[in-house]
This record gives sequence, structure tokens and C-alpha cells, in this order.
Amino acid sequence: MLNQVLLDFAEWLDSQSWSSALHESYYMYNWVESTHVLTLMIFLGMLFVIDLRMLGLTMTNIPASIVARRLNRPMVLGFSVMFITGLLLYYAVPVRTTQSIWFRIKFVLLIAAGLNAWLFHRRMNQAVASWDNDPVAPKPLRYGAALSLTLWAGVVTTGRLIAYDWYDCYRDNSELIAWAAGCMSE
Amino acid sequence: MGWGAVDLLPFFEWMETNLLGQIGKSYGGVYAVGQSLHLMSLAMIGGTVLVTDLRLLNVVLRDVPSEVVVDNAHKWFKLALTIILATGIFMASAVAIRMYHNPFFWAKMFSLFVGIVFVFAIKRPLLRGKHSDISPLVLRTVAVASLMLWFTVAATGRWIGFS
Repeated sequence: MLNQVLLDFAEWLDSQSWSSALHESYYMYNWVESTHVLTLMIFLGMLFVIDLRMLGLTMTNIPASIVARRLNRPMVLGFSVMFITGLLLYYAVPVRTTQSIWFRIKFVLLIAAGLNAWLFHRRMNQAVASWDNDPVAPKPLRYGAALSLTLWAGVVTTGRLIAYDWYDCYRDNSELIAWAAGCMSE
Repeated sequence: MGWGAVDLLPFFEWMETNLLGQIGKSYGGVYAVGQSLHLMSLAMIGGTVLVTDLRLLNVVLRDVPSEVVVDNAHKWFKLALTIILATGIFMASAVAIRMYHNPFFWAKMFSLFVGIVFVFAIKRPLLRGKHSDISPLVLRTVAVASLMLWFTVAATGRWIGFS
């Protein structure tokens, strides 16, 4: 049921002239994809620095909240551009992407990373004054930072794997793969 | 193509036939993991370069001494550079002959070489001391040059895949 709704939506997007125009435009599509990858440097780069500070691996003599708050704005800016260009990439190739197992895993990991970030900020803001100057953040925040790095590594890896057609629906996949990819049409 | 009179094609042919090239060619999954590590180290280089240069330009972390930011970022930059070079050699080995004929590959190699020389021969020696002793104009020029250089490295690298 859900797969049919998702596929109908993807086919509706695919029927729009702008979708195929973007997909077929050599420069426009490549510019969008390049911007998506380059803004990863801004977003993930800032996230790395914040998480490494929480883990006590960099800038340990600077209060953790200063590092997190000062780098939050460029990180959100990078994420915003990355998100918009990501939507455009989906819009350009909607049917294949909807039925990509890697895209689906990436989507789940993105939601998990978002929830983890929300919990992380909540915990950080609750009692930051008590540990702000410590070289290492308290255990729950360290776990949150490590989980954040792991989830984003997963997002990057699965994002890269979308380009590979190993498990595309036209292939002779196992039932599990076909179910996970939501294969309804080739 | 090559440097001066030296034709590097035989070297690239050897790269594609050696063990590293064969692993990359034969195991798509291993190659993809290499690509993913390459991307993550690119992100880390981006993060360390941006934090350093935006601090020198007084855009971020203005209440943190720039020496602290620069020194801490440089340690992680070196690690990321090591991973990106290792994974880059692995990836290029699998498609070495195609890379040899790709102008964007050479553009990236050149900008990467300039970037590395810039960091280790100019930026790092200059920023090792107290930044208050250095003219703000020099600091800003170094930061802008660094941002432009590493942006070029990343952009030309991304365009290798499109050409």
C-alpha cells in the first residue's frame, strides 16, 4: 500500500517536464549534484568538529557549548543547501530513487540522525554549565556524538551507493531485497 | 600527458594492473567503501579548512583564540589528508587509464599539489607563531587563498565523475 503510494507520487513527479529537463541537463544536474557534495563539506565538516569536541578529541581547552553554538549556524546553512539540492536530485530521478534500497536506508538513517541531534541538543542545553569546561562531555553526550558520527557515516555511504544498480528492481533480487526496495515496477 | 617530456602512461597502465587496481576493479563493494571514506575525509578536510579560515576571517569562533583553532584543526586536517590520499590512490588505480585521459583528473592533481604545498610550506609555518604578530591583511589573504584552493580541489574532484 505504502509502496504503491510512493511509486504513484514518484511517477507523478517523473511525468513533469521539469523533472526530465533537470535530469537531462548535463550542466544543471551536475551543478546540483556537485553543490550537494560540496555542501557536505560545510555541514559534515562542522558536525565533525562539534562531535570531536564532545568526545574530548579537539579544542578541549575551549568550552564545549561555545564550539557547538558558534558552529551551529554554518552547519545549519550547509545542511539547508544540502537538503534542497538533495530534494532536487530526487526530483530529477524520482522512480528509480524511490525504489532504491540504498535511498531507503539513507532516509531511515537521516531520520535517526535527526532524532539523535534533537536529543543531543536537549541534553546539552539541560546542564551544560556543570561540565562546559571539562575536556570531555558527560557519557550520554559522548554516546550521542559517537552515534551522530556513525549515523552520518552511514548516510554518506548509502548516499554514495544510490549510484550503483546492484539491487535495482530490474535485477533478479531476493524477496527480502525486493521487499526492502519496494519494487513494484522496473 | 605527463610532466614535461616524461610520459606517465606506462605508470598509469601499471597502476591499473597492480593488486590495488585489480581489487578496485573486481570488488565493487570495496571500491564503494573507498569512495565513501574518500567523501568523509573530504568533509573533514572541508570542516578543518573552513573552521580555520573562517576564524582567521573573524566569521566564526571569534571568542576563541585563533591559535587554538588553527592548531587543533591542523591535526585533524593531517589525518583527513592521509585518508583522502590513500583512498584516492586506491580509487584512481581501478580506473587509472581513464584518469590519465581525463583533464579534470589532472586539474585536481595540480590543485591538490598546490593545496598541499600551500598548507605545509606557507600556511602552517606562518600560523605557527602568535597571530597578533602577523598583519591582519596577511591573515585574511592566507584564509581566502586557502578557501579558494581547497574549493578548487573538491570541485575539480567532483567533476572527474562527470567528464
